[in-house]
Amino acid sequence: MKVRITEWMTERVRALSDQTRLGIPGGPSLAYVFGWVIVMFLGVEAITGAALSAFYAPSTASAWASVAYVQDQIPLGWFVRGLHYHGTSALVIVTGIHLLQTAVYGAYKKPRELVWWLGLILLVLVLGFAITGYVLRWDQAGYWANHVEIGIAASAPGGPTIKGLALGGNEYGNLTLTRFYALHVIALPAIVVIVVGAHLWTSRLHGSTPRWGRDGLAATKRWPRQTLRDVIAMAIAFAILTGYVVSQHGADLAAPADPSAAYDARPLWYFRWLFELRHLAGSYERIAALAAPVVVGGLLIGLPFVDRGPDRSVKKRIPFVAAVVGLLLVIGVLTMRSFSRDAGDAALAKRDEAAALLASRARALAVKNGVPISGAQDVFKTVPMYTARSIFETKCKGCHDAQSKDRKGPIIGAGHGNRAWFEAFLRAPSSDPFWGRTKMGHTDDAMKPVELTPAEITDLAELLYAQSGASDADATKRDRGKALFDKACTDCHSVDEGVSGGGGPGLGQLGSRDWYTSFISNPKAAIHMGKLGEMPRFDADLTITERDAVAGYLVWLRTASQADLDKLGPL
Amino acid sequence: MADDPDRRGFLKAATTVLGGGLGIVIVAPALRVCVAPTNAQTVTTPTDPIDIGALDRLKVGAPWQRVDVIAPVVKDAWTTAHDVPLGAAWVRRTADQQLQALSSVCPHLGCAVGFDGQNFLCPCHNSKWSDAGALVANAGPALRDLDPLPIQIVDGRLRLTWVRYKLDTAAREPA
Repeated sequence: MKVRITEWMTERVRALSDQTRLGIPGGPSLAYVFGWVIVMFLGVEAITGAALSAFYAPSTASAWASVAYVQDQIPLGWFVRGLHYHGTSALVIVTGIHLLQTAVYGAYKKPRELVWWLGLILLVLVLGFAITGYVLRWDQAGYWANHVEIGIAASAPGGPTIKGLALGGNEYGNLTLTRFYALHVIALPAIVVIVVGAHLWTSRLHGSTPRWGRDGLAATKRWPRQTLRDVIAMAIAFAILTGYVVSQHGADLAAPADPSAAYDARPLWYFRWLFELRHLAGSYERIAALAAPVVVGGLLIGLPFVDRGPDRSVKKRIPFVAAVVGLLLVIGVLTMRSFSRDAGDAALAKRDEAAALLASRARALAVKNGVPISGAQDVFKTVPMYTARSIFETKCKGCHDAQSKDRKGPIIGAGHGNRAWFEAFLRAPSSDPFWGRTKMGHTDDAMKPVELTPAEITDLAELLYAQSGASDADATKRDRGKALFDKACTDCHSVDEGVSGGGGPGLGQLGSRDWYTSFISNPKAAIHMGKLGEMPRFDADLTITERDAVAGYLVWLRTASQADLDKLGPL
Repeated sequence: MADDPDRRGFLKAATTVLGGGLGIVIVAPALRVCVAPTNAQTVTTPTDPIDIGALDRLKVGAPWQRVDVIAPVVKDAWTTAHDVPLGAAWVRRTADQQLQALSSVCPHLGCAVGFDGQNFLCPCHNSKWSDAGALVANAGPALRDLDPLPIQIVDGRLRLTWVRYKLDTAAREPA
């Protein structure tokens, strides 16, 4: 066996060296440019990849942030990243054309089997780059696509081991990124250099394979006539890639990876046919996903063994050419079906739109506020007053928002607790915006409207407004208001610090941050609403820091307008 | 046709120019991206005064005290971090409302300068300064006095402005 393999190799390598070196029988042609276009795109990947690696930080907390930084904050960063990302698509396309041409030409026939197989390995490596690279961005798209890919691998024999090796343990985490990064920038490039080198070496020893029927023609050197064609083709191919990258403003970047959020993961377009196949296979999806690459790979690897004979003309090799073209057609149809299935899914389009909105918000926040060191997910928490507003959203809005259908308390919104608010309250405490929706509002326990002149109400409102410690309180008005208060209000209320009223709440420090914190903690406390309180206490539900944050937000609302509120942006 | 030397020369030149141009077009944006941060302020530290504690922590006439200077927010390229140590300063209170602050960064090569009760000493190359921060000649390689930092009192709190100066120069210039 060993002897036979050695003989087989020697025969081919000697045959190689006897061939016309670097010559092209029948002269140059634009048909022979694809190999060098592939080399050019590999060069583009190497150069843009080197530049990107100078920015990339492979950890779960920083990966997305560093990619977003290059994309949105470094001049031309989006362009280099776009070349790198879409360049892989270009590589898949041109490698596909190159292999198809080789198959049609029958150029894999003896003694060129090695060249063919090395080419196939190269295609697999390009796909390997795509898989290992897509997860590095650690956004929703890359993160979930990787789950699908690793999921397929894990269902193969020995799958759990493969999965553990790839992820670096049991779960997606820092080691997943460092390992995929190592594969992407060290291991795969090293293997590609070796494979491309071997591929070039073997194919150069053979000389180019002309179209069938040109074999006997006089060979001319590649340089400069074929080389010029190669370079023109490279320039055109690069121009097309550049045009596409500019039209897309580089590669997309979804919101940071979020293990808790559902996402419609889709593989890269050149894996879509597998995705569709799994769909069609139903409960056999795992088998289909594993078997399909084996069948396709087996067919391509086996071609030189079954398609023997020296004649390379297509007419004599119809079954083999038909098999390759048919395979390509099946892949093409499956790919189109997958895309048209998605295009017809209105619900999916809606979810994609929401995901795109989330992505643009995350990226805008990352540019404006930077990404917290605690992780990319926390970029959403950099909006102003995030803690308070998200608590308000879940705990307070139901009873206090003007838009809420089952509001049970006073409206809390922009201008809450300012002078106008106090004046309106004093005039009609049980009206709809105030106690109107409470149980107490329609009983005798509720405060009666204050019957004073408008000027007096203004003074009284100033006294209450001044309780918050607002620096713009008018002392003269406040003192006049205090005189009115002492005459008309002290039966039920007090404005002395820490003193509860008679039947009503104590009003000392009303509207200050500390007062709000205390009220939120326990509205039924004697100093606040006492027995009349209807709002639940939050001292167990919220931490003191959270209550204080909400209090800070309420203080901010006092001077805020609706426009200020809108400017905070969504949560 | 292939043997016409003029035409061959033209083809060679065209190939070289086109190929070289393509190479430049591919490499240029990658280089642009790599040099982009060179003159950018990628790490943003506060330039306004930083709170370093209450005035009460310093007693009039007490020896130099080392305080950490902690920035409330530091933006570093893509991350935003809170409460990040920037360095340390030596501070003392000479009179009720009078303060002095010296950067603990050695003006030679940036090591952290210590105080032994009488003199400031740099552990790296033995440079030495007096109790007032004046350079002791010939003790070590430092070329200037310790760098004073602006410090003020606002509402009973100490506010220090953190400045980094160029190292190893006799004149004091902000870095």
